Amino acid sequence: MIHDLGPQLFNGLVLGAFYAIVAIGLSLIMNLTGTINMAHGSFMTLAGYLAYSLVLRGTSFWFALIAAPLIVVVVGIVVERTLVRPLYKREPFYSLLMTFGLSLIAEEVYRLIWGPNAVPFSPPPSLNGTTALGFMSFPTFRIFIAVVLIVAIVALALFLTRTRFGLRLRAAVQDTEMIAALGTNTQVLYAVNFGLGIFLAGIAGVLAGGMLGLSPTSGNSLLMPAFVTVIIGGMGSLFGSIVGGLLVGMAISLTTLFIPAASEVSMYVLMAIVLLVRPRGLFGEEGIFG
Amino acid sequence: MSFRRELLFSAAVVVLFALAPWIAPLLQLELSTVSGVLVTAIAVMSVNLLLGYTGLPAFGNAAYFGMGTYGAALSVSYLHVHFVEAIIIGTLAGLLGGLLLAPFLLRRRGIYFGLLSIAFGEIFYFIAYRYTDVTGGEDGMRVVRPEVQLGGLHAGISDFGFFYVALAIFVVALIAFRTIVRSPFGRTLVAIRQNEPRVRYLGLNSDRFIFVALLISASMAGLSGALSALLLNFAYPLQLDWHQSGYFVLSMILGGAGTVWGSLVGAAIYVIGNDVISTITPLWQIFLGALFVACVLGFPRGILGSIDLLLRRAPQTFTDDDVNAAFDPAAPVEVGRGR
Amino acid sequence: MTRPVLSRRNFVTLAGAGTAAAFGIPAYLPRIGEAADTIKVGLLEPYTGVYAGPAENETHGFEMAVDAWNKRGGIMGRQLELVKEDEQNDAGVGAQKARKLINQDKVVALCGTVSSGVSLSVAGVANTLGTLFMDSGGHSDDVTGKSCHWNVFRTCHSTWMETHATGYSLAKRFGKKWFLITPDYAYGHSLETGFKDVLAHIGGTIVGNELTPLGTADFSSYLTKIDGAKPDVVMVLVQGDDYTNCLKQMNQFGLLKKYAVGGPQVELEPLYGLPPEARQGYWGIEWYYKSEKTLGKNNKVAQQFVADTIKRFGKPPTARNAFGYITLDRLAQAMSDAKSVDPVKVARAIEGVHFSSIFNGAAYYRKEDHQLMWPMWVAKIRPDGTPGDKYDLFDVTDTEAAEAVEQTVAEKEKVCKLGYP
Repeated sequence: MIHDLGPQLFNGLVLGAFYAIVAIGLSLIMNLTGTINMAHGSFMTLAGYLAYSLVLRGTSFWFALIAAPLIVVVVGIVVERTLVRPLYKREPFYSLLMTFGLSLIAEEVYRLIWGPNAVPFSPPPSLNGTTALGFMSFPTFRIFIAVVLIVAIVALALFLTRTRFGLRLRAAVQDTEMIAALGTNTQVLYAVNFGLGIFLAGIAGVLAGGMLGLSPTSGNSLLMPAFVTVIIGGMGSLFGSIVGGLLVGMAISLTTLFIPAASEVSMYVLMAIVLLVRPRGLFGEEGIFG
Repeated sequence: MSFRRELLFSAAVVVLFALAPWIAPLLQLELSTVSGVLVTAIAVMSVNLLLGYTGLPAFGNAAYFGMGTYGAALSVSYLHVHFVEAIIIGTLAGLLGGLLLAPFLLRRRGIYFGLLSIAFGEIFYFIAYRYTDVTGGEDGMRVVRPEVQLGGLHAGISDFGFFYVALAIFVVALIAFRTIVRSPFGRTLVAIRQNEPRVRYLGLNSDRFIFVALLISASMAGLSGALSALLLNFAYPLQLDWHQSGYFVLSMILGGAGTVWGSLVGAAIYVIGNDVISTITPLWQIFLGALFVACVLGFPRGILGSIDLLLRRAPQTFTDDDVNAAFDPAAPVEVGRGR
Repeated sequence: MTRPVLSRRNFVTLAGAGTAAAFGIPAYLPRIGEAADTIKVGLLEPYTGVYAGPAENETHGFEMAVDAWNKRGGIMGRQLELVKEDEQNDAGVGAQKARKLINQDKVVALCGTVSSGVSLSVAGVANTLGTLFMDSGGHSDDVTGKSCHWNVFRTCHSTWMETHATGYSLAKRFGKKWFLITPDYAYGHSLETGFKDVLAHIGGTIVGNELTPLGTADFSSYLTKIDGAKPDVVMVLVQGDDYTNCLKQMNQFGLLKKYAVGGPQVELEPLYGLPPEARQGYWGIEWYYKSEKTLGKNNKVAQQFVADTIKRFGKPPTARNAFGYITLDRLAQAMSDAKSVDPVKVARAIEGVHFSSIFNGAAYYRKEDHQLMWPMWVAKIRPDGTPGDKYDLFDVTDTEAAEAVEQTVAEKEKVCKLGYP
């Protein structure tokens, strides 16, 4: 069992990287407007399906990796303007319910378009093999996911700290009224912020489609771990989402090693513990949700 | 509405339901579906108490519902209890669930309360799913509907008989609910929803009020679960999933949070709507999802809440609370007189 | 307070109209196919949810059988009609819809279901209301075991049959040290029990048993343990989307090249969702459209069935299509033989009767537990199909007779009491 520890920890880290990408997207959306996006998984699945359809029509995986999320962003912004925006002034749980309804619609629509069965979507051959890592053979694609995470984090960090827009975004998270008073168009800010979160969801969706299966119900299984990650890492903190993701990934891996039956529940137990002991999470901001 | 008028209205509704065995077939509805509405309405009431009146996002009530349904199912299958005992045991099981979780849930408010409820709900769900030997796992548990054995009375309960049992229990639950929410205790819950710190400053221990509300809510959900096990002759883990909690919450919103009859209206729309639409089209999930989205966006006060708003049931003088309440779509409009 | 979007009058009108419509619509719905002369059969399938794919295919099979019978003049001069309801993969909904079909639509029998939980719930309702229920797709042993009823028949193979058809065969082919990946719920547990029984008989061992909890999308934590256990064969017991996930990930971990893989059952639906490089191994299959071993030599009925399905639906039938077809075909035959739709008479006309159908050989629904005793097969996967037929993924290797792989009558009678009225 100890012999398995190394591979499990490594696997957990990489898995955590994936959860982190999803969680950051969710967190971005939550931080600015308090919107709880239960349809995040649906956006992910949409990106996966679009990538599948694009590749089927002959584009390369790399093209689809960028194009599919972009298309989903367009959908996301439409959703934001029509459905999400009216709920900003209300309590968060309204957005939770509304996006829950949205996820129901999405699942059925996907079933109509792409059929009820899983569709075969895989990474390109260059990424689809294994890499020998000395202590284990590891799927190249998962390493790729970790790389994507690092790129995404760096890009996001640069965007938030080095661009004016990013600056406004950070300011708006702290005090939306003030920045509106100072002349920023908050409507555009909201839309772009949502779009950014959805873009990350889209990337995660294409990656998930390659790593796992792709069917109308795929989004459901990825949603909960993402929420747990945001809660553990702390709402209001992007850094927290990253750390939270890694923790959740490792928690699942390690409980699989020691108490396999509990591995999925462990996530919820962890979530409950965090909520009870330190509800703002490890790195969260006090008072985001009262 | 004056008490007299309310009594007449209530009596009319009860009479209408009492005629369901004859009306339902005309609407192509199964009597057991109408029974299902009544049973679900009790669960929605439990959510209404916590969310509609006290303002706590109760997203985990399916857990207590599940305690109730498995409590009844297990006691019937293994302890061979009878009909009435099964219902009581289920209700107590729900209460037990509430007692177990209350110490944790009480420590948080707002969305954290909601997320905590979801977390615990999922834990209960996994237990029901995994312990196949006890609960039957995802295959569920068959429940053979037991007889009523009270004193010398022996009677089997058919679907027809069950409907009236469910109706009677629902009426009792509704009366209890109304009594609770109109009482000073209930008013305090509303006050907690509107401004909890103020309640505490007034010297009241809000935790204790919420604790009692939690227990009542859990018991009601347990009662609903027990009835469900006896109605469907089946108990299964899906009933504990957070989606189920979500459907209870959405039914409440549909009907009208913070209203007495809202639970029944919401449950009726959800159960019957699902039944009717899913017969018409396999795309029912789109319609259901669209209904939820439209409701949250357009009619967050639900059917009854919107009617109340439009009929301007507002007191003549506004206080701070009323102004706050006016900006909070989940608040019933009036604060002065009871509804 | 901002002005409401709708004026008061408009809102009340809208609400009133909406409510009236919602409750009144059913009354005004044209009752489709209300010809008093048809024999209605209720079909319950999970058209929404994770089993929507198999549900669709089972339905196609049912429809083909109905058409075939109607073309021959129906039963006792009356045409057959399917009344479909979505049980939503939910036992409670299944029970309600079952009641609706029996009481409102007046069906003479219920068929269908994929998930065993729904099968059991529907079987209970059917029993209470004294109607036949032909379980086409729910595999749990209990349906013909401790929860059996006189009115319930089951077409697909039981989990016991699945494990015993494949267990001995795979042990012979690969070895007796098994690593199991088991879904941690009732279905998985019963498969595990079945395999343990096989291993006990051949003196094999389980070198690893990973219980994967509900909703596991990521199997990596379990897969990384396989190297340490050094099995002869990795048995994958998970089904549906989980199966697709697991195999895909096994491929990405390079495990499919290192280890033999197999399992008690695989269906074409999830297999088509796997990229070709992940399609490996030896699996139990319940029927196949393109093998003499499964269809028999010159089985005209089978060939017609396959051809018609391809023509009508654009793809070949899977085992699910077969379940639907066989189930309805037998039901119709029994009603015709008994010259009645009375459930007890029809049940008596089904059980014990030997018949040929779209598979190799003859079969019968066993009198003691109402399980269809037909062969099961083991097949090797052809990752890319055959030239010209990308659907042709199975290379059928072994045939297992039903009597050899199912529990004996004596064993079943200990738990199953049919309870004819």
